[in-house]
Amino acid sequence: MSTQSIPGEGWAVATHALCKRYGRETVLDGVGLRVPEGAVYVLAGANGAGKSTTLRVLMNLARPDAGRAEVFGMDTGLRGPEVRARIGYVPEHHDHGYGWMTCGRLLRHVARYYPAWNQSYADHLARALDVRLDRTVGSLSKGGARRLQLVLAMAHRPPLLLLDEPTDGLDPVVRSRTLGLLAEHLADTPTTVLVSTHLIYEVESLADHVGVLREGRLVAQLSRDELRRTVRRYRAEVPEGWKAPPGLEVMRTRRSGREVQWTALGDEREVTERLSMAGAQVREVSPLALEEAALAFLTGEVTQ
Amino acid sequence: MLVNLDPRDARPLYLQIMDEVRRALVVGTLRPEDPLPSVRELAADLAINPRTVSQAYGELEREGIVYVRRGQGTFVAPDARPDREALGRAVAKRALLEARRNGLGAEELVAIIREVAAGEEDREPSRAAANQGERE
Repeated sequence: MSTQSIPGEGWAVATHALCKRYGRETVLDGVGLRVPEGAVYVLAGANGAGKSTTLRVLMNLARPDAGRAEVFGMDTGLRGPEVRARIGYVPEHHDHGYGWMTCGRLLRHVARYYPAWNQSYADHLARALDVRLDRTVGSLSKGGARRLQLVLAMAHRPPLLLLDEPTDGLDPVVRSRTLGLLAEHLADTPTTVLVSTHLIYEVESLADHVGVLREGRLVAQLSRDELRRTVRRYRAEVPEGWKAPPGLEVMRTRRSGREVQWTALGDEREVTERLSMAGAQVREVSPLALEEAALAFLTGEVTQ
Repeated sequence: MLVNLDPRDARPLYLQIMDEVRRALVVGTLRPEDPLPSVRELAADLAINPRTVSQAYGELEREGIVYVRRGQGTFVAPDARPDREALGRAVAKRALLEARRNGLGAEELVAIIREVAAGEEDREPSRAAANQGERE
């Protein structure tokens, strides 16, 4: 490995003002992703928000129209093969294009491309995920293809895992086993994980960073601790006809009669003080689960 | 020791793990010199980030509740005492939070808890006795 100092040091993934258009449609609009080395980073967003396109750019499977992307400091457009050698990738689509091969044969085939391929680990993963090695790839169900892709992505213990909706098509038992295997994998190997999903709660217990894409723009990017500190839910009683004080960064308001609930950004004490000064009696302040907080960014007006 | 996490609990997971260890010490399922599950085991078991487990164990080590034997894992410290008070404070904090949410004051809550507990002891003398025994 080269010892020269690299730009983007400390970031496993960094993108700079990344833009991508398909025809007239803008899919990515100035995305500046920063995934710290060793993080489990959840990229959340609705379907069509640009999650898969982002991962495809990182794999150099899609070319950005503007901006650039780096993986471990390497420009993905200039050093595609080197970049891909360091990545385990579970793509959005389940189709592999090797339909005639048996799963066992495909594993051996892919193994040749990765010097770090660990066959006993591959066997262990295949057993744990119930991948039938004698079946042809083309005969696999959606979930079966997903399980095979997970084995292929993890068996060479790459420094970066790019997982595009990894639990898509998996039944609940296999899903929880997959997350357990991923946890074990992280305990054994220093790995950065970038996982895109619209089902945040599924990967919530593994995640320590989150980014939220909305219509091609990265509207939030923060560590889980920051998220806990800055996004809170406030529940208060207010006098009739009460109006919220200006200057609050409110992402979501629910109101019914004298009771109001805000999801707001900012320092808890400041927000509470501001609400109290305006005559609201704050009864409850609670941090949000990752999913709820991300949802607030997905639907709210405030960006971060 | 079995660790259970509550996904609806808004506290960080590492704090929940620490409380589970404290709880196990108090109820006696974990005793001095017992091994804790390895980081890898517990992470895989709960499908959580191994760093979260390491963070919990690290904090417990700082508090002197556990210690690390090189190459062997994490063990309960020989002089680790079940900290009933710390555990009680955590329970009290949760109860107070819930009380305030329901518009109840601390004094009000305490009085009601006494009343309810007295009622339980009348109805279930055997259970009350068992609770008494736990305190010795």
